[in-house]
Amino acid sequence: MGDVLAWVLFFVMLIAIIVMLVFQLMCLADLEFDYINPYDSAARINSVVMPEFITHGILCFLCLVTGHWVMSLLSIPYLYYNMRLYIRREQFVDVTEIFNLLNREKKQRFFKLGYVVVLLFITLFWMIFHALEDHH
Amino acid sequence: MGTENPNPPSYPVRPAATPFAAMQSTPPFLSSGPVAGSESSSFRPVPPASSQFRAPPFSSGPVVGSEVPAFRPPPSGRSNELVGPPPSSSSSSSHGPPAAGFQRFPTPSLPSVGHAVPQRTGQPVLSPTTRPAAGTVASPPISLLSQPQPPSIPMGSPPPSMKTGQVNGNIPPPAHQLLSSSRPNVQPSSPPVRPSYVTTPGISQATIPGYVNAQPNTVAQAQPMQPASFTLQQRGYAPGAPPTPFLAQQRSVNPPSLYSGNQMQHHVVAPPTATSPGLAEDFSSLSLGSVPGSFNAGIDNAALPRPLDGDVEPKSLAEMYPMNCSSRSLRLTTSGIPSSMSLASRWHLPLGAIVCPLAEPPAGEEVPIVNFVTTGIIRCKRCRTYVNPFVSFTDNGRKWKCNICSILNDVPGDYFAHVDASGRRVDLDQRPELTQGTIEFIAPAEYMVRPPMPPLYFFLIDVSISAVKSGMIEVMAQTIKSCLDSLPGYPRTQIGFITYDSTIHFYNMKSSLMQPQMMVVSDLDDVFIPLPDDLLVNLSESRNVVDAFLDSLPSMFQDNTNVESALGSALKAAFTVMRQLGGKLLIFQNTLPSLGVGRLRLRGDDIRVYGTDKEPASRAPEDPFYKQMAADLTKYQIAVNIYAFSDKYTDIASLGTLAKYTGGQVYYYPSFQASIHKDKLRHELTRDLTRETAWEAVMRIRCSKGVRFTNYHGNFMLRSTDLLALPAVDCDKAYAAQLSLEETLLTMQTVYFQVALLYTSSSGERRIRVHTAAAPVVADLGEMYRLADTGAIISLLSRLAIEKSLSHKLEDTRNAVQLRIVKTLREYRNLYAVQHRLSGKMIYPESLKFLPLYGLALCKSLPLRGGYADAQIDERCAAGYTMMALPVKKLLKLLYPNLVRVDYSVVNLSPQTDESNIIRKRLPLTADCLDTRGLYIFDDGFRFIIWFGRSISPDVVRNLVGEDFTGDYSKVSLSPRDNEMSRKLMKILDKFRESDPSYYQLCHLVRQADQPREGFFLLGNLVDDQNGGANSYADWILQLHRQIQQNT
Repeated sequence: MGDVLAWVLFFVMLIAIIVMLVFQLMCLADLEFDYINPYDSAARINSVVMPEFITHGILCFLCLVTGHWVMSLLSIPYLYYNMRLYIRREQFVDVTEIFNLLNREKKQRFFKLGYVVVLLFITLFWMIFHALEDHH
Repeated sequence: MGTENPNPPSYPVRPAATPFAAMQSTPPFLSSGPVAGSESSSFRPVPPASSQFRAPPFSSGPVVGSEVPAFRPPPSGRSNELVGPPPSSSSSSSHGPPAAGFQRFPTPSLPSVGHAVPQRTGQPVLSPTTRPAAGTVASPPISLLSQPQPPSIPMGSPPPSMKTGQVNGNIPPPAHQLLSSSRPNVQPSSPPVRPSYVTTPGISQATIPGYVNAQPNTVAQAQPMQPASFTLQQRGYAPGAPPTPFLAQQRSVNPPSLYSGNQMQHHVVAPPTATSPGLAEDFSSLSLGSVPGSFNAGIDNAALPRPLDGDVEPKSLAEMYPMNCSSRSLRLTTSGIPSSMSLASRWHLPLGAIVCPLAEPPAGEEVPIVNFVTTGIIRCKRCRTYVNPFVSFTDNGRKWKCNICSILNDVPGDYFAHVDASGRRVDLDQRPELTQGTIEFIAPAEYMVRPPMPPLYFFLIDVSISAVKSGMIEVMAQTIKSCLDSLPGYPRTQIGFITYDSTIHFYNMKSSLMQPQMMVVSDLDDVFIPLPDDLLVNLSESRNVVDAFLDSLPSMFQDNTNVESALGSALKAAFTVMRQLGGKLLIFQNTLPSLGVGRLRLRGDDIRVYGTDKEPASRAPEDPFYKQMAADLTKYQIAVNIYAFSDKYTDIASLGTLAKYTGGQVYYYPSFQASIHKDKLRHELTRDLTRETAWEAVMRIRCSKGVRFTNYHGNFMLRSTDLLALPAVDCDKAYAAQLSLEETLLTMQTVYFQVALLYTSSSGERRIRVHTAAAPVVADLGEMYRLADTGAIISLLSRLAIEKSLSHKLEDTRNAVQLRIVKTLREYRNLYAVQHRLSGKMIYPESLKFLPLYGLALCKSLPLRGGYADAQIDERCAAGYTMMALPVKKLLKLLYPNLVRVDYSVVNLSPQTDESNIIRKRLPLTADCLDTRGLYIFDDGFRFIIWFGRSISPDVVRNLVGEDFTGDYSKVSLSPRDNEMSRKLMKILDKFRESDPSYYQLCHLVRQADQPREGFFLLGNLVDDQNGGANSYADWILQLHRQIQQNT
């Protein structure tokens, strides 16, 4: 039973990360089509960057603590990438250069999104798998 | 066409040549090429003979290459894209048929030549046919022979070791008529018959080494022919192409179309339409005299192209479209816009424009101002383009067609005018907006988001000990006071002051006060503004208080011993005060900001980081505070100008971002000493305060569908993808934009650009300055090269390089610049496939003849030069920020400064010597030009360096410098003295300064052999010489040449 709960928790956290990523991508797209100005766009994006990083950090930690080694290993590249951005102080979008960096920022987030979606499916699978097992 | 006649005779000759033909590997090429070009017109009459040769359409290309520019393009293009390499034997057969059709003369009279000759691999080129004529041109043949042997190439043409200009056409005058077998690859074995020239009409191969002796005239002669021949070929090739510009046809040519012979004929008939003057252009070459690698070769230093006449703007575009705005306002890197993405990708230089929206018109010219009171500003309803000279009126004047998006708009009733038979409005001469490329509209209320702001100047002054000691405060206060009367916008002008050291001092300037009240705030973390208003006051009302403040400012802080500087907090305070209105914020910074937010640390100039991955970080802004602050300042329409004075590290890299993203400027006075630098500061501050300024501006560049401006470079902030926010703009700022194609193929023949700057003038009017320009779409790379503008290219290239240097090592940045130049010239070389077999020459388009030199100068410029020891990090960054904003002409002068000798005119006391004459006699920047008895002025637009030769007469020196002329020149300043020589020199200097008023050129005196001063000021800046680890000009050319030849 505990296993299922853990997987549900992971699932929820991954959904949260996806929501934050999609939100960032929407802000960037809006900016590209001139629906919002760069100041608002940058402020909105930057406001969810740290929550996203922290959520993922917690997710990794929980995986580790609950003994889901494979899952935590799969999350580590993402964590490493985030850490690297953080250490280089590149985690926030730069409002002054945002238009020049637009494509890069979008690409970066699309890759992240793809990666997280894959994790999500794995989690989903195991969640259902364990739920069914419990059922038996 | 006159040449045609001669041709006929030549043909007959060919048969004789046939034997030789065997030798040629690519017979079709060679032979036909020349023929085609020259004959085109002549052809018909002499059908049979020539026809066969031509048969391979391609062949014509190579041959033509050298002489007729028009020609070359087609061949090259085709050969590369469609045909690929000139087909050897196989190709001949395959092409043969088509070719025949092409030429109309199906009957190959000389089949033997083309087909029969199995292409011997050996000599691809030789057009044997021509040779028979050989007799005519005696000398050339010889040289040809020599070609095959690479090393020997030094070319027989000893005389001109380096040929610049269009040396190419080596053919003797008579020669043109002969077919020049332009084929460089003549086998040595081949009989001297070279007569090839004989037949070629216009065709001379520039590249052929043998021909070195070429006479320029050949080129000229060739030209006349071109139009005809040119059309012929092109048409034939690209039958499908619309008659319009030849260019379009060439590139776009579809392979299938190539062979359609029928069309050819039609085209032939057609007048040489588009064959613009451009065709006549020829490429230039430098014969390096040696195979790449051997340095001894006869590079003649003096013959290398140098821009001694300053920036020469290409005139062709202005002639083509006389209604275009002036090149002062808009300069395209090439006026030929590529018609397809594939073509654009072969243009290795940046494609884009340099825009200087408020460029000062020359005296006597004014920008017409138009006020559409009743109709509102006429704009396209879809793309929002402003009405301009290129719109057309239809439907009897009731509609107008937008030139940018082609939509039909209604003409408002009040703007209606009848249209005459030729489509011109009858009131055209009263409508400057329909005749002038640059125009200014008065904007009505819908262009304002708030009432127009008053001009506002706010001063943020560092009063820490170093500022007091250097005397900066005194000079600054005096200057500001002297400018108060001439600040623009009287009587609305607003002004305010904050001073700071470890605390922030506010000044209440309320008009009812007699003396300003000073309020000190020492809480730096949460800056508290002591007064809601009266920190910013109307100048005309509070004039007395402001005067009193400026008078007392120097004495107020003369005993200040505070060494700290809380710039960040003071900046926030100033921001809070100004945010209601916006305006211009001038920051006078003397030390590294050391307290409060935005505190910077000593970092940067560490010799150990050079060459490592950490190196670029020292040139990039460190603290995000300044970037964020700059963004906020721009949002509230505040422009920042930084004046930095420190002799120690001030982290200009970080401070400069304030200016960069707010449309400001960085002024840097290293080791400022009032006694030495006061004139410079006074002049530049005065100019900054009094020049005409456009406030709260936004700028957008519109262009026709299919092309788009993607990247912008300069001092501004982007507010949306294509909208530049410019809190303050003036005539000394230029912006660069890069262009890219959005569609794989452009269908129109002309691309229009419209720069619109919406701003508030100092008088409080909202205005729109609109510049409109048109540029042709070309389908041919050669044409792009011909229409290139070196000044704009270098301007854009240097901005790209400086930006790159913020994230890459200097070494890599310089290599990138070099690589671009190499790629460009290599592509150009490939364009003229025939020539590239000759290793001894460097080929470049006439329009880009200064590109290598400016590229070298860029690599040696302050922001990019050398390594740790070659420039201080702050100077590097300051120069980088300055260069990012400079208009083209000033940038070129900075890169390749003027060097003139003045001792004759100074010593010659006759009053009528003309100073303007001296200015024109610019010398190459090399130490060889410095005569030890001479007196020279080196002028880069920012400073004068006056160089005294070792053996100059002591009299002169004493007259100019005074009695201490033997002393230390770093302590001597040049002041007017009471003697004729000194007055003369001053007059000359004033003349120089007049020509470039945006900066003050401070004089630095340098005596020959006075090291290290001489090396620092002068020798290190002589671009043509080897200095530091950098190449000399001649070495640079050799190096480029070698790289161009690799992998070609």
